[in-house]
Amino acid sequence: MPDIIFQSTKHFWPEITLALTFIAAMIFEFATKKRTTGTGILVLLGLAAALVQLPSAPSEPVSIFGGMYAIDPFSTFFKYVIIVTGMVVVLFSFQSQELKKESGHTGEYYCFIAAVTFGMVLMTGSSNLVMIYLSIELVSITSYILAGFSKSLRRSSEAALKYVIFGALSSGIMLYGMSLIFGLTGTLDLSGIRTALASGHAVTTGWSFAALMAAIVLMLAGFGYKVSVVPFHFWTPDVYEGAPITITAFLAVASKAAVFAVMIRFFYVAFFDNMLASTGVYSSFRNVDWSMILAVLSVLTMTLGNFVAIWQDNLKRMLAYSSIAHAGYMLMGVVVMSNFGLSAIMLYFVMYFFMNLGAFYVVMVIADKIGSENIDDYRGFGKRAPIISVGLSIFLISLTGLPPTAGFVGKLFLFSSVMASQFIWLAIVGVLNSVVSLYYYARVLKNMYLREAPDGDESPIVFSKVTSAVVILFIIPNILLCFFYQPVLTFAQRSIAILLPGL
Amino acid sequence: MIPISHYLILSAVMFTIGCAGVLTRRNAIIIFMCIELMLNSVNLTFVAFSAYLGDSAGQIIVFFVMAVAAAEAAVGLAIVLALFRNKKSVDINDVNILKW
Amino acid sequence: MSYTDAFFYFFAALTVGSALVVTFSRSVIYAAFALLFTFLGVAGLYVLLQADFLAVAQIMVYVGGILILLLFGVMLTTRVTNAEITTGTVQGLPATVVVGILLGTLILLVSRATWNVQESLPDVTGTTTEIGERLLTTFLLPFEIAGILLLVAIMGAAMIARSTDKTKEAA
Repeated sequence: MPDIIFQSTKHFWPEITLALTFIAAMIFEFATKKRTTGTGILVLLGLAAALVQLPSAPSEPVSIFGGMYAIDPFSTFFKYVIIVTGMVVVLFSFQSQELKKESGHTGEYYCFIAAVTFGMVLMTGSSNLVMIYLSIELVSITSYILAGFSKSLRRSSEAALKYVIFGALSSGIMLYGMSLIFGLTGTLDLSGIRTALASGHAVTTGWSFAALMAAIVLMLAGFGYKVSVVPFHFWTPDVYEGAPITITAFLAVASKAAVFAVMIRFFYVAFFDNMLASTGVYSSFRNVDWSMILAVLSVLTMTLGNFVAIWQDNLKRMLAYSSIAHAGYMLMGVVVMSNFGLSAIMLYFVMYFFMNLGAFYVVMVIADKIGSENIDDYRGFGKRAPIISVGLSIFLISLTGLPPTAGFVGKLFLFSSVMASQFIWLAIVGVLNSVVSLYYYARVLKNMYLREAPDGDESPIVFSKVTSAVVILFIIPNILLCFFYQPVLTFAQRSIAILLPGL
Repeated sequence: MIPISHYLILSAVMFTIGCAGVLTRRNAIIIFMCIELMLNSVNLTFVAFSAYLGDSAGQIIVFFVMAVAAAEAAVGLAIVLALFRNKKSVDINDVNILKW
Repeated sequence: MSYTDAFFYFFAALTVGSALVVTFSRSVIYAAFALLFTFLGVAGLYVLLQADFLAVAQIMVYVGGILILLLFGVMLTTRVTNAEITTGTVQGLPATVVVGILLGTLILLVSRATWNVQESLPDVTGTTTEIGERLLTTFLLPFEIAGILLLVAIMGAAMIARSTDKTKEAA
């Protein structure tokens, strides 16, 4: 056994780096009080150190620590998304005025960013129910803390309280599902579950099968909560609005990526027969129609997200509903259970990273300037702050999925993967939803360009050069990726290999 | 000899009682207690399966669940305290700056 | 009825009865004390299931740790006399329906399904050695992660609960 552990450590260095970063940042924070930027830079360097080790991950799937953890191209892809998001969020935080008000704690804030990144990275590779549970909890508990970070604000504490209560509830429900799976199959290991189910000894009667279904539904409730799938979405708007905006951005992008990764691994490894090589489509045990259940969830999620977003006046809250809707779009890629669908989800995450982080960044700098996230306060911004307004417009168009932006390519591949699997109606619902989303995004644009500021104020609002540069840096990939998406697509297609037993 | 189904039914009853508490109670601290009830019922299921399977993995996950429950309770109560300082109430109906 | 059977029904009644008190009692303090008996009842059931290590851990972690923490929470938040912390139940009817359906489904499923287990309890003498060994071999990675998780939770709880000057002003 010690040999296995030493062998495993060899592939585990990115994760070890992240854990060490967290501990080092914590010691640094306690040793040098009030030098919070130092802690931030330390965390940034640690994340970068973990990032540069990712390319040396083995190209063939490897199982380490006695089946606890999988290193495969699939998880490596998501690790890139998560770690880069973590770095961007740290950089944003250097600029955020909101965090400076909490000057006493900003150092700890960076430590928690390191910890939550570590947890998310662990989620992508967890291949045992114990690991899935622990990594999800590591991420959740750290997120509760971060959501309640601006504790002198009532809004933030309230959001954190809702988050922690419903979060604990959902993980309790998920655990119940895990316990039923353990009872049916006698193992906690995902590949063991697969073997037990495939051999047919585990599920012998109709009632056992019903229990297995119930277990999966309970697990789905747990995962669904974390990615805010309707009907488990109700915490999202409150937490996204109440948390510091940098954390909102982090939760909206990295946390979603991590949960999608662990959810896809759970379903594909434990419950799907080997794919049919000719079509690249997976089949499920006993031919349960999972796709229909997931398709219904996906439709509910995007429709509710988009329709409720129409009535939002707070841009941060609107982006929260829009991120619910995006979870619905991405769920479509899981519905089709094909390699095409998987690569479409992964491509979409890259696009989503650029458009969503860009949008949150603009909301953050504007809120720091004018002290409001209300859409009505954006009136006249087109004249007063041209670069920022153009940036926000492009990010919102990208979120809608119109050309010539990255979001268009992301949606195009997602919808065509759905069409390829004969879910024409689902693709149509998706397109109709995008049309609805155009309505509320356009409202922001209308306020910025077609309306005068309420007091007729036309004096320019000056943003620092750094701010403008960051906005432009985010505009470039949002446009370029519409035309030069091929490298990302190739990378995504090469990264669909998930560790499966007996492959 | 007690068959395993007795333990499972007992745990299902406990789980439901915990759920009922979470659904109906309004005091944040009582809601935490009810969540602990649910976690305890899940633990009981795991231990029952583990004992009847003769596989200690089920007991090990319970060990982790206890650790996580303690961590969750600590963070949850800290948040309740922070909110209470700002607000002087732990009734979650009063948690209402943020609306739907 | 053998002694073990009698013990099982005793602990089961204790657990369910006190769980009901936790959920439906109007006073937070009563609920907390009822929770003590639930935890003890579950610990007793662990002993019946030959999980000696977990029975001790249950008492130490849940009774000695979590319950004390909850009691502190109760006391710290009742410091202000006019704070309303006793609660009334709302949403009575829909909750009853949901809970009834849940209870029926779960009981039906767990009693009818064929579980992948042996007919009777295998005889084990002490689980501590085995759990200890597996925690540091197969389950080494989760064990380490649990350590980090606890560290994060301690730091976070201390940071959130610590009163800053700003919150003092607000209070």
